[in-house]
Amino acid sequence: MNRLGGVIAVLLAAGCAPADRGPRFRPAGATTPRDGGTLRFAVKDQVRTLDPMIADDDSGWYVLHPLFDTLIDFSPDLEIIPRLATSWAVSQDGRTYTFELRPGITFSDGVPIAAAHVKYSLERTLHAQDSPFTQYLGDIEGAHDVIDGRATTCAGLLTPSDHRLVIRLAQPNPALLDIFAMPFTTPQRAEHVAAAGDQLRRRPDATGPFMLDSWDEGDRVVLTRNPHYYDPTRAHLDAMVMIENVPRDTQFEMFERAEIDAAEKLATPDYLFVMSEPAWQPYVHRSPAMNVYGSRMNVQVKPFNDRRVRQALNYALDKRHTQRLLNGTTVPAHGILPPGMVGRDPGLAPYPHDVAKARALLAEAGYPDGFDVEYVTTNDEETEKVAGSLQSDLAEVGVRLRITVMSWAAWQTAIGQPQGPAFSFASWTADFPDPTDFFDPLFDSRAITSTNSSNNSFYQNPELDALLDEARRAPDLLERKALYRRAEHILYDDAPWIWDYHRLSTEVTQPYVRGYELHPIWQRDYTSAWLDLGPGGAPVAR
Amino acid sequence: MGAVLVAALVAVAALAPVLSAKNPLASDVEHGLSELGAPLPPSGESVLGTDQLGRDVWARVVAGAGTSLAIATLATLIALVLGLSIGLIAGYAGGAIDNALMRLVDLVLAFPFLLLAILLAALFREANLASSNAPVFLTLGAVGWMTMARVIRGKTQVLAGSEMIMAARAIGASPSRIIVRHILPNVAGAVIVVTALGFAQNLLAESVLSYLGLGPPPPAPTWGRMLYEGRAYYRIAPHLVLVPGVAILLAVIGFNLLGEGLRDAADAKVQR
Repeated sequence: MNRLGGVIAVLLAAGCAPADRGPRFRPAGATTPRDGGTLRFAVKDQVRTLDPMIADDDSGWYVLHPLFDTLIDFSPDLEIIPRLATSWAVSQDGRTYTFELRPGITFSDGVPIAAAHVKYSLERTLHAQDSPFTQYLGDIEGAHDVIDGRATTCAGLLTPSDHRLVIRLAQPNPALLDIFAMPFTTPQRAEHVAAAGDQLRRRPDATGPFMLDSWDEGDRVVLTRNPHYYDPTRAHLDAMVMIENVPRDTQFEMFERAEIDAAEKLATPDYLFVMSEPAWQPYVHRSPAMNVYGSRMNVQVKPFNDRRVRQALNYALDKRHTQRLLNGTTVPAHGILPPGMVGRDPGLAPYPHDVAKARALLAEAGYPDGFDVEYVTTNDEETEKVAGSLQSDLAEVGVRLRITVMSWAAWQTAIGQPQGPAFSFASWTADFPDPTDFFDPLFDSRAITSTNSSNNSFYQNPELDALLDEARRAPDLLERKALYRRAEHILYDDAPWIWDYHRLSTEVTQPYVRGYELHPIWQRDYTSAWLDLGPGGAPVAR
Repeated sequence: MGAVLVAALVAVAALAPVLSAKNPLASDVEHGLSELGAPLPPSGESVLGTDQLGRDVWARVVAGAGTSLAIATLATLIALVLGLSIGLIAGYAGGAIDNALMRLVDLVLAFPFLLLAILLAALFREANLASSNAPVFLTLGAVGWMTMARVIRGKTQVLAGSEMIMAARAIGASPSRIIVRHILPNVAGAVIVVTALGFAQNLLAESVLSYLGLGPPPPAPTWGRMLYEGRAYYRIAPHLVLVPGVAILLAVIGFNLLGEGLRDAADAKVQR
């Protein structure tokens, strides 16, 4: 027994020993950005292609964004800012866009970039059979002639000079500027595409602050500084290394051993560990992302066809529970638009947790004792946790959930059918930061289809449809803002979803990584980051 | 000593509902998690703290005792029946039958224990058995009978050649009567010892399978699963690893000591 006691004592001591859990390093203390150094980070999957016309996966974008500059870009506040274009103008009717290209811009081999290179890139996307981005260009005049093979050049793309690109639209599209910040619109050379042939996915024709040094597929992508890039403030680093196929918990272990300089989307225990240590706090980054999570109800089916029932469920949900279960990496939602999005009304408070009100509304609707209902969610740690929490919250007002867990694919198919499960988990992530990419697919009655309906609450409201049409046509930002706010209020009252939360992205960086914040669109954008290292390029110990 | 630990374990399993008023499956987000959603350390409110879903660790470890004991008992029973029959038949029959059965034992032993257990557990799982514990105890029973078979076969072989058995044969007793009436009582001591040691092994193996995700499906509390789920939290909530770890340690030590004690007792009897 003595030996046994000893073993236990050792175990306890090892488990509880206080240790220095803060960062190992500190910034060297430079007051202005320093050039040089290599920033290393890891991702959990692998890059499929470096062809900007094809790549649409998150980790691909982490290298595509430094490789390919676009005419315009998003600032961290989601303002449109100039990149390869210095200015742009939109005509009164919202149908003609004129971009002025920056003088002196070149590809990474020093060859000047001209407006025709942008035109070529867009036409290549229109011709492509395998580009996920073709649809985004559909509003350009003559785009469908190219898509359908009736024309080789697009009538709506004009290059009056090497430095001017004019785009004529068949109908106004308020998201057009957003689209021109996506990497697939980067200028490209026909000669390069022809010469690279089927190796194009490995041979990016870089236009951004970095260019490809090497890509050992499945292992790592190495980028080096583009010596011809016009803006030195966006290329402090000598190189960036993105290591592929590293699971999240391994990323954090590598981060602790200082083998990488940043770790993202931390697993819960690692995030809690970092958050429990004050010394880490300045190096923890959190950013809103373009998403919304909650539960959607089929509003055409009993009992969800009664608005009072839907409101009651919104009152019954205690958003603090989800927030706690997800370790405070969420923002409570009052609707679909995430914080920072144009048209979001920050003054609109989320439904409060009010059991009495929920019970009263249910009684009014004829369900004083609640009801039993199936609830479908996906087989994922996070969604299952949240479903369990919803189950116990709703039980308090007498609504008893039977939870069914499905694969992501099965769930997606099931909730897109009018006769599918009436009540389920729901989430949406936008492709670009514009309210149209939230409202139109989710709540416009014309988005209802018999299978794979993106309007999966089957919500129909002519007033909202008209409002969305008006907002889509409105050329003025302020006017659009006001219209989308009205749309938010309508949906808040009608409650086709139980609005729950917006998920924040999280990342932790080594203290010597400076000039960096998570970007709401690109997430990990290290183009402006710099390393505050000591003499000899070694990190300074804390 | 071993008997005390085992008795305590059985008592804990039997009295689980009395020992903890809290539901081992209910997650209490409101009171069971910190502001940030972290597990709570041991406190007056929950003696052994809470886990990552705000569930009471004491309630889970107590409930886990029942699960673990039930699985280990059933697995040991299966192994006992299989091993005892094969050992008795092989030892008594001898010749070709003995040879065939012992080569079967060698064959099963030749597989690494864990690999075989994982394979079987996965297969039994696919079979969608009625009880969620069934795949686990069937697996452990199926891979745990060989020691018993070998020990019993050796003892039986010796006994089969003894004068007592020759006498029984001479007066025309049937083989089944000889095995049941004459050999079985004489190998009982060995059976008890091997069973107790096998029990300890099954207890540990159940934790291993649960740790590998092949145990009873969640949210059923088992020590192995608790250890698995808690391992990532070892820095911010060491109790999530220590509690199930120490529970497994104590239980395995208990059964091993009990087995050893029984062996000593059996030996003494033989000497006497």
